[in-house]
Amino acid sequence: MSGSLDLEQRYRRVLRLLPGYYRDKWEQDMVAAFLDSWPTRGPEEDEYITKAARPSWAEIASVAGLAVRLYLGGAGTPHRYFAWGQAVRRAVLAVTLLQAVRGLDMLVRTAWSRHMLGWLPAPPASMVPATPAGILPPVAWYLVAYAWIVSLVALVLGHYRTAQVIAALAIVPDLVWLLQGEFIGAFRGPSVGPWAFWVLINLAPVLAMAAFHRDAPSAARWPWLLALPAGYLVVAMPPLAIQASGNSVWIPDFSGLYCLLVALACLALAPRARSRRSAGSGLWSLALTLLAADAGAYRIFSLTDYLHNPHLIDVSLGELLILAAAVALVLPNATRAQTATPAPPPRPHPG
Amino acid sequence: MADKPMTGQAFFVLTALADSPLHGYGIVREVAELSQERVKLKIGSLYGVLDRLAADGLIEPDREEAHDGRLRRYYRLTRDGRRALAAEAELRAATARIVRARLGLTGAEATG
Repeated sequence: MSGSLDLEQRYRRVLRLLPGYYRDKWEQDMVAAFLDSWPTRGPEEDEYITKAARPSWAEIASVAGLAVRLYLGGAGTPHRYFAWGQAVRRAVLAVTLLQAVRGLDMLVRTAWSRHMLGWLPAPPASMVPATPAGILPPVAWYLVAYAWIVSLVALVLGHYRTAQVIAALAIVPDLVWLLQGEFIGAFRGPSVGPWAFWVLINLAPVLAMAAFHRDAPSAARWPWLLALPAGYLVVAMPPLAIQASGNSVWIPDFSGLYCLLVALACLALAPRARSRRSAGSGLWSLALTLLAADAGAYRIFSLTDYLHNPHLIDVSLGELLILAAAVALVLPNATRAQTATPAPPPRPHPG
Repeated sequence: MADKPMTGQAFFVLTALADSPLHGYGIVREVAELSQERVKLKIGSLYGVLDRLAADGLIEPDREEAHDGRLRRYYRLTRDGRRALAAEAELRAATARIVRARLGLTGAEATG
């Protein structure tokens, strides 16, 4: 019961947010500093403060921020936390890349439909991208498409705060659209799928960008930058070509595409993960496991979009099965990665 | 890999310890005073900075003193910390000189 705790115990309870190794090193010091921050005003008032005062929200937030930085560790943190930090950072980059590819696809389709790609014949009407109806003007959705591309580039170039702010702004129009849809009853069926998209594909990566802090090692710049055009060619172009040929029925929905891409990445990594020869494969295995959890959760929640169509339910379950089988190939390596990760790099800077 | 610039918080913490060793909350107060209340370190942020500075060998524990039934640990600058602080102060002073020159400010105008 919090009522029976004194101020010192309340501070110690807040400090339980921090990893054990860090508490062993700094807890006594931090508690002393917290208690010192309360001015002494006489025995009666001191006793009242000890009994009734609580850590402020600002103090709790500062400890929580420190905890995130330590659990998703960078240079100088124990292997386990460094592994989680790197895996989350790679998973965030991958989801941001996927969003950026979607954005690029929308911009290319828009340019094509407006005859800005003069050498191509006009696209069929089914390929012209439609912005969601609602209170937001179409330009807001084009800005969202740009924003994810800019956010990816900013993350890769090390402008972490900029990337996070831009991505946070990019997810607002979707939220407005969802809230408006709920308010006016625009969703014909259950709206679980669209909400799952917003939470798992929009909000989760924005929150997980907290893993990109000052101690985080920089991402490999060129591979991630080149991944955008490569991703567009591999992920967006084939559906575009299939759609242009009039066989849209073969194109998986976004959730299915996400599952299949993660499954393919797992299959590509599996030989290295099983051989244990490549030191970095463990971190990728852990990152792909996180992505598989995200993709799988979204696939499950978005099944509600197909309650009227047993065939699409079967296809979706098939995608889930493929994802589960593929991730099982890298899961043991992901588990090992938490203890056998290469040593974190030394801190590159003072302070 | 190139060194990242020192953060403002780390600069103020090192400056606070330049005169004499201080304990955790003493550093918070000193930093607030040095920065004319513009930098108000939260305890979580302070120990994030202290942990980094200690790992980089720029500060080290000095002594422990009992106060109100609990131990206060004091920290001091190491020789490397003094050197890093001097280099950073020089860099900031040089930048400030350039800014003043570009704005066409004299010393009196700059401080006034």
